[in-house]
Amino acid sequence: MTAPQHDRGAGFRRFGRGETYSEQSVLGDHAARDRRVGSTLPFSDERHLRAHQFLVDEAYLLDAQAYDEWLDLFTDDVHYVMPVRVSTALGTGYDSSPGMAHFDENKYSLGRRVARFRTEHAWTEDPPSRLRHYITNVRTLATPKDDHLIVDSAELLFRSRGDVNEAATVSCGREDLLRREGDRWKIARRTIFIDESVIRMQNLAIFL
Amino acid sequence: MPDLVDVLAAVRRGMIPAHIYNDAEIFALERERIFGRSWIFVGHESEVPLDGDYVVRRVLDDSFVIARDSKGEIRAMFTMCLHRGMQVCRAEMGNASNFRCPYHGWSYRNDGRILGLPFHQEAYGGEQGFKKRGQTLLPAPSLASYNGLIFISLDANAEPLEDYLGDFRFYLDYYSRQSSAGLEVRGPQRWRINANWKIGAENFAGDMYHTPQTHTSVVEIGLFREPKAEKRKDGATYWAGVGGGTTYKLPPGDFRERMRYVGYTDDMIARIEQIWSSDQQKLVGGDGFMISAASCFPNMSLVHNWPKVEDGDGVLPFISLRTWQPIDEHETEVYSWFAVDAAAPEEYKKKSYKAYLMCFGSTGMFEQDDVENWVSLTNTAAGSMARRLQLNSRMGLLEDDTPVGKRLPPNEFHGPGVAQVGYNEANQRALLRLWADQVERPVEASATVAVGTCADGIEPLVQTASLPVTDRARV
Repeated sequence: MTAPQHDRGAGFRRFGRGETYSEQSVLGDHAARDRRVGSTLPFSDERHLRAHQFLVDEAYLLDAQAYDEWLDLFTDDVHYVMPVRVSTALGTGYDSSPGMAHFDENKYSLGRRVARFRTEHAWTEDPPSRLRHYITNVRTLATPKDDHLIVDSAELLFRSRGDVNEAATVSCGREDLLRREGDRWKIARRTIFIDESVIRMQNLAIFL
Repeated sequence: MPDLVDVLAAVRRGMIPAHIYNDAEIFALERERIFGRSWIFVGHESEVPLDGDYVVRRVLDDSFVIARDSKGEIRAMFTMCLHRGMQVCRAEMGNASNFRCPYHGWSYRNDGRILGLPFHQEAYGGEQGFKKRGQTLLPAPSLASYNGLIFISLDANAEPLEDYLGDFRFYLDYYSRQSSAGLEVRGPQRWRINANWKIGAENFAGDMYHTPQTHTSVVEIGLFREPKAEKRKDGATYWAGVGGGTTYKLPPGDFRERMRYVGYTDDMIARIEQIWSSDQQKLVGGDGFMISAASCFPNMSLVHNWPKVEDGDGVLPFISLRTWQPIDEHETEVYSWFAVDAAAPEEYKKKSYKAYLMCFGSTGMFEQDDVENWVSLTNTAAGSMARRLQLNSRMGLLEDDTPVGKRLPPNEFHGPGVAQVGYNEANQRALLRLWADQVERPVEASATVAVGTCADGIEPLVQTASLPVTDRARV
């Protein structure tokens, strides 16, 4: 997912020269830089079919909160980032909060989050939420490397807790960089592009 | 609603009528009598580092553009066009020398003055019909900053911010004054929770008691070593004027050793030694208390903790600022900022930011479990049974009001106000006593301002503690 360009000389030159949100984020130095080339692969393309199935299978793990298996889908150098969106005037050149994110994670911090759910004291998910991750608008693009693919998707998370409050939803777009490691594909970079500047969910004790 | 006099009397005894956490009539009073005149934290000067930068912030339903003009002065202007009332700025942040109303094209400079309006001569007969010279957007009734922290009061006769903050400034400095470079503030993350705004403010003010229970999981995963039950109660709580907070007791050592224990780097400690008063240093170095969570009446909270953000034994601190902005009696918008000393090493800033993300904010692992409790409390407070229940908020007091724990003498706690060691709810009671005092006191009618009464231009922000505020980080 390519960020808007920031060519205004004065004022907000608060982003670096990176062209992906991952590069612009505070903790994205280690992130893979691979980018898309060409146009969307045909939906009949083997690479697209594989990538699409990967995302659907992942969504079922997230719905089931099978987080240990889910964590295993990520490479050791993963960058998992979800910028804070802000409303800016047309032509401003940026659309996310400089130097701030909701998630700006590496494998270690994702692992701590998963480990917390494994304890018996993560009260926010006891009783667990009922989760449904809807994944749609999936398209796959090649990169200059055969063992790397870019996959775009739209995601709607429906989260219902208890029997009193209304369910909450989060809508976002995602860009994933998939990398083949041996005979498996893994996520090397995920950018989550939430569609709200003010989140209408009590916390993000979920993954997207 | 039960009789207000009875409600306030119960609150002052430390017995909290449960319905105050979800009661539309109580909220109507809070809107008028607390948010209508208290100093409300809205942001930090480092969020608008460059001339022309602006952010838009709300105090309940009123939205203000906080803008730095071409001379570097900061003002807060109500975002309503003087003509037909359209919002003149609908972005959340940006950089602009002027704001143009999309409705009829009136435009305003970023210092609030009217720049122009279409067909002034033809439609209004020029200055004789509408004196645009000197007209401005409505300014925030009162605007001031302390250590770069910007506050707005909707009361034009609000007492000076410095007086309002009073002795709490001593503690505010720990979070917002760690070098002469001042603070660098990023964010906010914003999200809405189905919880009453007071619950978070009370929790951050003094609830050491919840830490070992609510936050068991973060100790178990090795994120934060301190909140083990036996350790947390060795901390002190303090209350000073409009604010108070909690502390952790540090292992033996001198000032530098104790600052290093929580992860400050030697260069940061050297700058801190230059700028914290002798008493501010003694509280850490001599008395052995390190500030943690705090709240400033009515709805600002602060955090300073020192988790582990990577493999190994090292920890390092982060600072977070926040407001609990009420939407109504059962919904709150949380604004949560990350803050770091602007002079800190870049590597420290990155790790401190990571520490913040792992612990607090929209994804923070501490925060997640807190909110779950508060949402549940708010739901339960809505019904008729909650009107029959007074919650016991008297921890630390015997029936005859004798304190259970010992009040710390000045030579054991070098900060102002009242401090004591151990679990207690003194701070929550102090916060709600201020709440009761305000809810009880009617407001004076605010003046209606017709267009044309702001002819001298808008007064810029008043600095009450002068610190140069450096530019916000550009990654």
